[in-house]
Amino acid sequence: MNDVLEKPVDTHKIREILNANDGARIKTWLSICSRCGLCAESCFFYLTNNRDPRFSPAYKFKSTLAEMYRRKGNVDRDFLRKCYDIIWGECTTCRRCSMYCPFGIDIATMISTARTVCQSQGVVPDGLERTSVNYRETGNQMGMSTDDFLDTCSWMEEETGEELTGLTIPIDKKGAKYMYCLNAREPMYYPQDIGMAAKIFTVAEEDWTMSSTGWEATNLAMYAGDRALAGQVVKNMYEKAVELGVQNIAITECGHAFRSAAFEGPYFAGYAGGKPPVAVVHSVQLFYEYLRDGRIKIDPDKMLTEPVTYQDPCNVSRNGGLWEEGRKLTAFLAKDFREMTPNREHNHCCGGGGGFIPMGPEFKKRRMISGRLKADQIRATGAKIVIAPCHNCYDQINDLNKEYNLGVKVLSFKEIICETMIVPDKFKPVEGDDEE
Amino acid sequence: MATVEFKGKSFDVDEDGFISSFDQWNPEWVEYVKASEGISELTEEHWKVIHVLQDYYRKHGIAPMVRILTKVTGYKLKYIYELFPSGPGKGACKMAGLPKPTGCV
Repeated sequence: MNDVLEKPVDTHKIREILNANDGARIKTWLSICSRCGLCAESCFFYLTNNRDPRFSPAYKFKSTLAEMYRRKGNVDRDFLRKCYDIIWGECTTCRRCSMYCPFGIDIATMISTARTVCQSQGVVPDGLERTSVNYRETGNQMGMSTDDFLDTCSWMEEETGEELTGLTIPIDKKGAKYMYCLNAREPMYYPQDIGMAAKIFTVAEEDWTMSSTGWEATNLAMYAGDRALAGQVVKNMYEKAVELGVQNIAITECGHAFRSAAFEGPYFAGYAGGKPPVAVVHSVQLFYEYLRDGRIKIDPDKMLTEPVTYQDPCNVSRNGGLWEEGRKLTAFLAKDFREMTPNREHNHCCGGGGGFIPMGPEFKKRRMISGRLKADQIRATGAKIVIAPCHNCYDQINDLNKEYNLGVKVLSFKEIICETMIVPDKFKPVEGDDEE
Repeated sequence: MATVEFKGKSFDVDEDGFISSFDQWNPEWVEYVKASEGISELTEEHWKVIHVLQDYYRKHGIAPMVRILTKVTGYKLKYIYELFPSGPGKGACKMAGLPKPTGCV
């Protein structure tokens, strides 16, 4: 990014973005904030940085987006560089402050708009920009080719099929009930996640499919502020779902992928109604339904006996509405459940959301400082296992585990379900002579 | 960025614990990080994975997907996890001196 800091600022372009967003909402928000300070106490950055007023959400939008409007877009590179630190380095757009604002000001939306302004001038974290290049070239954040993706799926079908008879990973099956969409890290670096999902779908006897294109559910372009690209990414998925005529899109255990696919994506893609063309379901909901309806049964002798706590991912719980489903699902799997405080929609961000982890090492130190609150929350539960149905929470809590010596193990629901579910005889592989 | 000294060698290490430049890699680095990656003793199999990762990185400038790693080494996924408990994406790449992969990892 450093070389772009030399280029002149395109204030015309900035004004264009500001004008396009200058609707009733932002106008109202900018004028009604009374600096009451309630948002400050809700923000984990503020709480972990000595209650420095510069970390209060109101200060963050006041010194960035509000200032852009006040100066009618006539800002310089120094100003954009200062914004960069605040909007990417001091806010994960977790939206907790919006809940505590007595006027309901959606500060995260304003921070996102400020990100769009900065991104338009090339001011964006390198780690996110690298994923944008990949999204543009291949449709997924890791630049994986279609051949490589399909090869990984068929390999996982083969390797996991040795453990579960009848397991298949269907590709592009028309009219399936669910099109299961992923985070590119799964086929690229954690292919076992695909194998585990296939096991769960097989035992639940689900009518599901993966898709040869449009399988990428993540949308880091959303966090980079590149709304046009974010729209393209999510459109790839929507259009594939429509082409295949599937009934639902199911999203892997990723938080921001759900936020993108279910809530923000339709707007990025330019769908006036604000609804995705096909219903979007998160894994937490889907897996809960399998257990609730008895399609998957858990072996009581295999249930987790160590103390367990549940990390409410911001984009699954507060922004996705699934906090009770997460708990009910956990109750099927764990005997000793301990709540973090606060919890459910009030839970704090893991400290690694909003693109913080893919933004790279440049931001690691801050991520560990702001994550201290989450580390304290986890430690206070006495839990030995943290369930995190979001890759980002998962990685951040693993990092916090090392940084703060929490002594916990982080698990996804997939991992626990695969270890604890009763596999009906018909799916059990027949012991062959060669396995003696 | 911090500098690590180990057995007479010096490494610039980023905040995620990856060496900042592949050129700085040498076998002492693997010795240095193995304990934090949960490995007690290095075997030929570990070195085979490390060398495959490095050959691929020299040719393509990125880490290979796990599928390629299993194809070239002939190891099953579970075995790679036995070798590298923190996984092929992070643990093995870190040991091989590759940069942390791009994206949500």
